[in-house]
Amino acid sequence: METEFILNGSPSVVDAPDHELLIDSLRARMRLTGTKRSCDVEICGACTVLCDGQAISACTTLTADVDGADVVTIEGLADGDDLHPVQQAFVDHSAAQCGFCTPGMVMSVVALCMEYPDADEERIKEYLSSTLCRCTGYVKIIEAAQQALEQL
Amino acid sequence: MGPNEAGQRRQRKDIIDKVTGRARYASDLEVPGMTYARLVRSKVAHGAIKNIDTSAARALPGVICVVTAKDFEHLDMYYGESILDQPFLSVDRVRYIGEPFAGVVAETQEIADRAAELVRLEVEELPILENAAAAMHATTLIHPERPADLELANVCSRSVFEYGEVDRAMTEAVHIHEATYTFPAVFHYAMEPYAYLAEWSSAGLDMWAGTQQPHKVRADLARIFGVPHNQVRVRVPYVGGGYGSKGQAKYEPVTAAMALIAQRPVRLVNSINESFHTVTRHAAVVTMRTGIDADGRIIARDSQVVYDTGAYADKGPRVARKGAYRSAGPYSIPNSRAVGIAVYSNRVPAGAFRGFATPQVVWAGESAVDEIARHLGMSPLEYRKRFLTEQGKPFLGDDAPMDADLPQGLQLAADAIGWDEPRLPGRGRGVGSGVKDGGGGAARVEAEVHLHRDGSVEVVASTIELGQGPQTAYAQIAADGLHAHFEDVRVRAVDTWGQRFDPGTNASRSTISVGSAVYDAACQVYAQVCDAAEQVMGTSQDLRLDGPDVVAGGQRKPFVEVLAEVRRLQPDWLGSVSAIGVQDTTKGDGPLGYSSSFYEVGHSAVEVEVDPETGVLTLVKCASVADVGFAINPEGCEGQDEGSTVMGLGHTLYEELEFNGPELINPSLVDYRVPRAENLPHDFHTILLENRDGPGPFGSKGAGEGGTLAIAPAVANALEDATGVRIRDLPLTPERVWRALRAHEEALHSDVAEDQS
Repeated sequence: METEFILNGSPSVVDAPDHELLIDSLRARMRLTGTKRSCDVEICGACTVLCDGQAISACTTLTADVDGADVVTIEGLADGDDLHPVQQAFVDHSAAQCGFCTPGMVMSVVALCMEYPDADEERIKEYLSSTLCRCTGYVKIIEAAQQALEQL
Repeated sequence: MGPNEAGQRRQRKDIIDKVTGRARYASDLEVPGMTYARLVRSKVAHGAIKNIDTSAARALPGVICVVTAKDFEHLDMYYGESILDQPFLSVDRVRYIGEPFAGVVAETQEIADRAAELVRLEVEELPILENAAAAMHATTLIHPERPADLELANVCSRSVFEYGEVDRAMTEAVHIHEATYTFPAVFHYAMEPYAYLAEWSSAGLDMWAGTQQPHKVRADLARIFGVPHNQVRVRVPYVGGGYGSKGQAKYEPVTAAMALIAQRPVRLVNSINESFHTVTRHAAVVTMRTGIDADGRIIARDSQVVYDTGAYADKGPRVARKGAYRSAGPYSIPNSRAVGIAVYSNRVPAGAFRGFATPQVVWAGESAVDEIARHLGMSPLEYRKRFLTEQGKPFLGDDAPMDADLPQGLQLAADAIGWDEPRLPGRGRGVGSGVKDGGGGAARVEAEVHLHRDGSVEVVASTIELGQGPQTAYAQIAADGLHAHFEDVRVRAVDTWGQRFDPGTNASRSTISVGSAVYDAACQVYAQVCDAAEQVMGTSQDLRLDGPDVVAGGQRKPFVEVLAEVRRLQPDWLGSVSAIGVQDTTKGDGPLGYSSSFYEVGHSAVEVEVDPETGVLTLVKCASVADVGFAINPEGCEGQDEGSTVMGLGHTLYEELEFNGPELINPSLVDYRVPRAENLPHDFHTILLENRDGPGPFGSKGAGEGGTLAIAPAVANALEDATGVRIRDLPLTPERVWRALRAHEEALHSDVAEDQS
């Protein structure tokens, strides 16, 4: 079946089986491999994308369910070489190591900034607990989130 | 002249790719004509294979081939680090639940997945040895072809290190402390599952792999497929986490084998469930006897460490050897005997994991020392500071002398949590120190530095960017050697074609080993440029490279012109603008066959709060001291230590692979709990100790594993400080703590009752 949605600002159509997951449409069909697959069960957050401004896990979302929605992936965040303030905050704080969680982590912080613009450290930690990182120990990611919240 | 670039905070070379989603990992790669694979895994823990029925899978439209060991009878299918006991697909037997016995290649991933479910394995079940304890005393042998151990069954390896006279010293001890400590199997959870892409052509095998040891993988592939090294090219894109899990060959041989039969490029991307069924940290049982004299000094230690290495050796023999060796530290113990035994069982294989055998023995050793200090009525901090091996003094028998100031580092950690400040009720404080010899991967290595005609610099060094930051650190090191700008240096990704041999990105060895070779090469190129400048510009005073220009003695000239002129002036000018740097870390003759090139040190100090109603243990304060010698990239060093401390908090408080018999029952992130942002200690510090006492560039040492070493005993020691309860098993889950508190309370009550009666 055909699913029509806005993907990174452009109208997009995917013709996929009903049971296809958004992560597979993005990665295999649209070749947007920035969205990462890890846990497959909506725990790790590596596949986090924005759907109408909300952070969702692409690994547990059917493509059919984003019909008519506005979807933003990590590829849609920067404007050419101009990084989004959240991306710049991650750069400034060296908030990535292996980088596999980073796209999902960046998208989660973007969602955090929209949902809780006044988030304090406890709120940041709680919010980001649905996005796992195995390298950094989270310290620099939290610092990056604080910088982004100040700037946005 | 001190370093200009090294020691500065610099933007990571890889970070723009990583924050924009442009970074490519093996699971993202595609080539024309690519096919998709799925492995079929055993649901039986131990069995002799009677038949594998692939007919239904083969009949599925879109399936290209279904392979089993029968397709590769002409090949030597086995691989391993020191013992070649693991076939890339089961031959004759399956030995653990999750072992791959067949592989499916199809036109799409979905077809491969469906076909994999149609493959049937028929076995004659064999007795199941569910863990090392069962296997050691069994009559069934998991690897009957392996030489027998004199005392125990299913021994994969046994290592003994002995110096002094332990038995005599024990008779002279005024107090002997003996206890057994257990450490569970835990999972690396590298977030990127194991992923590969293989293609054969007339030139040989082209392999893209998320690996930490591409040269080891090349050697294995060449041996298995009977081709020379120059026909195996292993390229490593970004790797989504390693921590030891992606060392030695993993699924490279089976991916290449499937591509050979399919005659098409094959991509194998495993799931996280499959990663859980690939390799773990060894579960260990550590029995430690420690003898002390009248002054409280440790005069003897006798340790036995049993590591459950699962169905295949992987790096188990080296883990058992190193663990035993390190169990005698970090104190100066004149008489020591340590036995490390790796035992086969029908569990998921165990191998390298950050800290490499050491968190298990430090868990025992630093718990035991705390118990001893308390027995003596001494402060655990003061006890350690008094008896930790002094800088420059002999260590571990006749290995290299201790290169670090251990008491200084431990005191820094203790100060950071306010050790001497009054304690609130319900809270306790604990410390621990861990030392890991930096001998792992001792090697003679080389690296190249090339200065291009436009002044840009290329570094060729075979260290994998796993996130630990070699692309950035090497650029800083090369910039210093060349007196060039960091921004003008680029470090190549690893490719075994045209790049120099390296034993592997592991053991915290890269900076001191490969990094030193990079510095050597950069200094050589700098000397060549100085020579050319003297001939062309008449000076090399304070020479530096400023983008495309050479600047010296107040003059500025484009490098491309300097190069052209020196060759015109002197057609036989021997200098080039490339150099090969060398570093050899195989020197000395310590007990391991060489002397440790440095000691990786991690000190932890924590303050905990314990809720007696629930057993929940909260880290109020946590400080980790990483003795890095000199921080080439300070932000990178902090990030490594923060990450390794939090990873250590995982096995301290949450993580355990749980088995029902031989079956792993929590192979999912729903059931296997890793630390989350909300679990960070409220007050969390990482401190870098920089005494410039390491062998790497500018006095640096290896780093990145230290945080995992001593965090668990520090927390258990703090728990005893808070509650009087000693727990010798990990993890310190609320249930375990609650039960221990209850048992302690009941024992106190019964003591009171006895006193009253």
